[in-house]
Amino acid sequence: MIGLSHYLALSAILFSLGLLGVLVRRSLLVVYMSLELMLNAANLALVAFSRFNQNLDGQVVVFFIITVAAAEVAVGLALIVALFRLRQTTHIEDLNTLNH
Amino acid sequence: MVVAMGLEQMDQYAPVLMMALVAIAASGGMLAASVIAGKRGHRPAIKDTAYECGMIPIGSNSARFAVKFYLVAMLFILFDIETVFLYPWAVVYKDMLTTNASLILGGMISFMAILAVGFAYILKKGALNWRE
Amino acid sequence: MNYGELLKLLAPESILALTLLLVLGADATFLSGRAPGLRRAVAASLTVAGCMGAIYWIFFFPIHGHLFSGVLVVDPLTQVTKQVLLLLTAATALLTLETAFTPHVGEYFGLQLLATLGFLFMVSSEDILTIFVALELASLSLYMLASFAKGNLASAEAGLKYFLYGGLASAFLLFGFSLLYGLTGETLLAKIAAKITTTPRDPLLVVAISMVLTGLGFKIAAVPFQLWAPDVYEGAPTPSAALIASGSKLASFFLLEKMMTIGLSSAVGSGAFHALAAGWVPMLAMLAGLSLIVGNLTALAQTSVKRLLAYSAIAHAGYALLGVIANSSQGFVALLFYVMTYGFTVLGAFGVVAVVERQTGSDRLEAFAGLSRRSPVLAGVLFVCLLSLAGIPPLAGFFGKFYLFAAILRAGAPSLGILWLVILAIALSAVSLFYYLQVLKQAFVREAPLELPFSVKPSTQLVLILLALCVILFGCAPDLLVSKLLLALKAAAPGLVF
Repeated sequence: MIGLSHYLALSAILFSLGLLGVLVRRSLLVVYMSLELMLNAANLALVAFSRFNQNLDGQVVVFFIITVAAAEVAVGLALIVALFRLRQTTHIEDLNTLNH
Repeated sequence: MVVAMGLEQMDQYAPVLMMALVAIAASGGMLAASVIAGKRGHRPAIKDTAYECGMIPIGSNSARFAVKFYLVAMLFILFDIETVFLYPWAVVYKDMLTTNASLILGGMISFMAILAVGFAYILKKGALNWRE
Repeated sequence: MNYGELLKLLAPESILALTLLLVLGADATFLSGRAPGLRRAVAASLTVAGCMGAIYWIFFFPIHGHLFSGVLVVDPLTQVTKQVLLLLTAATALLTLETAFTPHVGEYFGLQLLATLGFLFMVSSEDILTIFVALELASLSLYMLASFAKGNLASAEAGLKYFLYGGLASAFLLFGFSLLYGLTGETLLAKIAAKITTTPRDPLLVVAISMVLTGLGFKIAAVPFQLWAPDVYEGAPTPSAALIASGSKLASFFLLEKMMTIGLSSAVGSGAFHALAAGWVPMLAMLAGLSLIVGNLTALAQTSVKRLLAYSAIAHAGYALLGVIANSSQGFVALLFYVMTYGFTVLGAFGVVAVVERQTGSDRLEAFAGLSRRSPVLAGVLFVCLLSLAGIPPLAGFFGKFYLFAAILRAGAPSLGILWLVILAIALSAVSLFYYLQVLKQAFVREAPLELPFSVKPSTQLVLILLALCVILFGCAPDLLVSKLLLALKAAAPGLVF
């Protein structure tokens, strides 16, 4: 029987994978996908809690998070494109102009 | 100090520990990872050019970067995702029309109005103008 | 609850949203193709008019109420804070006239308004859903503002770094929120607090609190979540950095205080030296101590004034956290007074930096040499602002710190346990004087090789002088603001006994 704890464990694993991706991956786009993974881990937790608490509020929150995540995608990709046009790179270690 | 403290009191340090763990994971990890990688993989911009050695490419290599596709895809995602709000609205529409008509109508009308303004703005800016 | 009521409660926000459309519309239609100077002037005047309109509305049509049992709260305290936020944005918009880094004028001012809209909703939200949406509205606008100088690599990089760290912070915050929701089954802060008391202490709660604090810690740039701040302050266009330092800080601190004192009021804990107990106070005490040390000591080594202001902002986040840690109504008022006056002060400092940067092309310490002879007005404003940041009486920064220390000592009076933090704060305040004086030494003592007078726009001069006067006024008569805040807090939460 799959219970709340299983969902929570999956959500925690997804969140940790996302965090790991943000910390170790070098490509901006992959880092960016990892960020989205973290948001979706939170979504999964919210939906699971909502189901097991018999309360719809969590699912309403998820609707909004999906929309906000889409807006974040738009802004993030625009920033990456802006950087790419100036620097011809999407690698994190090239973000070093400001490190004195 | 530590010996004198009871187990319960030790237990109370748990949040601080947890906080420290989160802090170390978030910031220390980021810092360490970038330092390590910075030494290991130095990537000059030339590595991203078409030919790393041999002839130097003529002209800008960003000419093939099709911004139009990206722009249209991005706008599509933005407008597409807004429809998720229409479904729950449609589900409760009939019930709420009898109890609180101004809220259910006004809410959706202003939501659509904001979307329409956004649409008018991108049209005016020529973001959907494919030929240009 | 009907739609008209909703509009009435959200009138200031609606005014701001309409102004935003007006700015964008005017710039895209009849101003397109005109001289950038004219477009900037029109957009700035519209922005200022919108902010003033909203302030006017709040002042003359005071209305209070709760929407959907507290999803959106409009009370005297939020209204005062909103007025200050709007003032900060209006001043930022006028200071933007001093710069010319972008041809997309309408969008730049539009994003400033959008960020402010986010700040206003942050102040009014008491539900994790609206808090998250408001926070993201403000953050996404600020990411774009930070990277708005499109041809400038530093700006693009600043924006991207801000975005990456900010995105990580949002993910942490959201996961913390989802755990809070899971533990209690509620999304309203007050109801979450009510449920937490009934459940025994849960390890998940500790995880939730630390994740929420991680997310909000990024927003207020507290150590160890401060890594983005120096790069963003240095690389972003100066008006964007000014808004991030002033308005964003005020809104974030207001949110943090509400999150802690309403949402987690039953998981306070204790940060006293021998009686550490689980809860958010010891965590915040740690953040505050680290911010004070790292911010003040790193600022000593800076040569870029914007970077110096960034590290000083980190240190000031440490001071302001003392107000949250006090966990009392006095602490709340002290916190608001401190962050509000800090907003005015830092805006003045950034205004001077913007002018110097435009005229000399640099924000290095050397660029400020001979400022007192090149522009006495700017030098005077810088003098007032930096000394206030250092906490010299009779300027606002001194009384801000004084109130914070008083609040935290009174809150911890029985045990004096948190005294270590106050001693640390006072000692590091003396250190901070050193780096502020280094900037002033350049401005007043050093001579520039070629001392041509600066040409400063009258609007910039006016704003800077007004900001400096505010700093002096709230320093000489802090009661003007403090009594107002106290009254508002009492009216907002009459039953609130801390």
